[in-house]
Amino acid sequence: MLRLRILLLAVTVMCVTELASQAQGTTSVHKFTDLDFGAGNTEGTLVVSLNIDKGLGQKRKIIIGFGGRFNAYLGKNQYFVTAPAKLTSGSTGPGVIFKENIEANMDTFLVKSAQLNSLNLFLTLGYNLSERLMVRFNIDLIGFSFGKSVTGNYINGTQGKMEGASPTSFNLLLISDNDRGSLNSQFFARYLLSEKWGIKGGIQFLFSEYTTDTEVQQFPEPNDRFRNKSLLFSAGVSFKL
Amino acid sequence: MKKIFVMFVLLMAYGCNNEEMNTPTAPVDDTFEPAQATLLSTGVMMGNAHTVSGTATAYDNGGSKTIVLDPFSTQNGPDLKVYLSTDPNATDYINLGPLKSTMGKQSYPVAGMPDLTAYRFVLIWCEQFSVLFGKAELQ
Repeated sequence: MLRLRILLLAVTVMCVTELASQAQGTTSVHKFTDLDFGAGNTEGTLVVSLNIDKGLGQKRKIIIGFGGRFNAYLGKNQYFVTAPAKLTSGSTGPGVIFKENIEANMDTFLVKSAQLNSLNLFLTLGYNLSERLMVRFNIDLIGFSFGKSVTGNYINGTQGKMEGASPTSFNLLLISDNDRGSLNSQFFARYLLSEKWGIKGGIQFLFSEYTTDTEVQQFPEPNDRFRNKSLLFSAGVSFKL
Repeated sequence: MKKIFVMFVLLMAYGCNNEEMNTPTAPVDDTFEPAQATLLSTGVMMGNAHTVSGTATAYDNGGSKTIVLDPFSTQNGPDLKVYLSTDPNATDYINLGPLKSTMGKQSYPVAGMPDLTAYRFVLIWCEQFSVLFGKAELQ
């Protein structure tokens, strides 16, 4: 697992570095370092990211880009629910995005103090409304997570037990509940106050995931992955590199 | 940096404004009749950093088990549940349901046929915050 983490980190750094090197001397490519805070109901995030945006088209207003992002999530008394799509939706195909959750298969893992960190590579799409005002959507693609182990309350109807868990190590964007691990996505507007500095405001949609020490869920089949979905208000600052 | 910190604090303050699910406080008087059931075990309720008092008793009521809190009183709190547990830490438990009231006689049917020598602790447990309010060891 350590080798996988190192490989993922290396790939992330290589992608970001490659895009950064291409940016030299090209006016259609812009780089930003962002610092964001997200806040929700007894939960929050600290996000640091490097964004490399490339303008497309004659006016360079349509944006596609990549970046690397560190997400630190902190949550108090958070409910994590059964994660695998096979259990939540009864299948793993692309159609899971349209399927309702199968409530009978959904168990809960309640964590008193959740703290997960992730380092992910993300994709950006956007549009520049003017020289100073821009909107962006980005979503994590792949990466890894780390954080302290916790003990949570596994709740299965009238039965329950305390169980240890750790952040799911490997993060991968697939489709809906097929996703693995902790992945963030942001929709925001950025306004440049000066040539270098800007402010941001928007929302974050964050998947956070724990893997329990044992396959604590046994029905309808063994499962050890539990996910929390957070919709957070987000604000931050940008520095243009 | 100071502006960033203030912005974060304001956002967190907005996010933390949630409703608490407190237990009803009106006294209850359950219709469970101990004279028609067999007493299995009993224990005294004791608070754990919160004020809880009374008696918890397990009865066999025609083959099914019931936990009765009588008399009973507890300090109020959010999301209070009655657990039948193997220890005071809720390491392995059966959730008997939300606490019906902070005061008065109340009964809780036990699902299945658990071994009460193993599940011998009755807990008043704040599920949302994972806090033990009070416990009784059935003996």
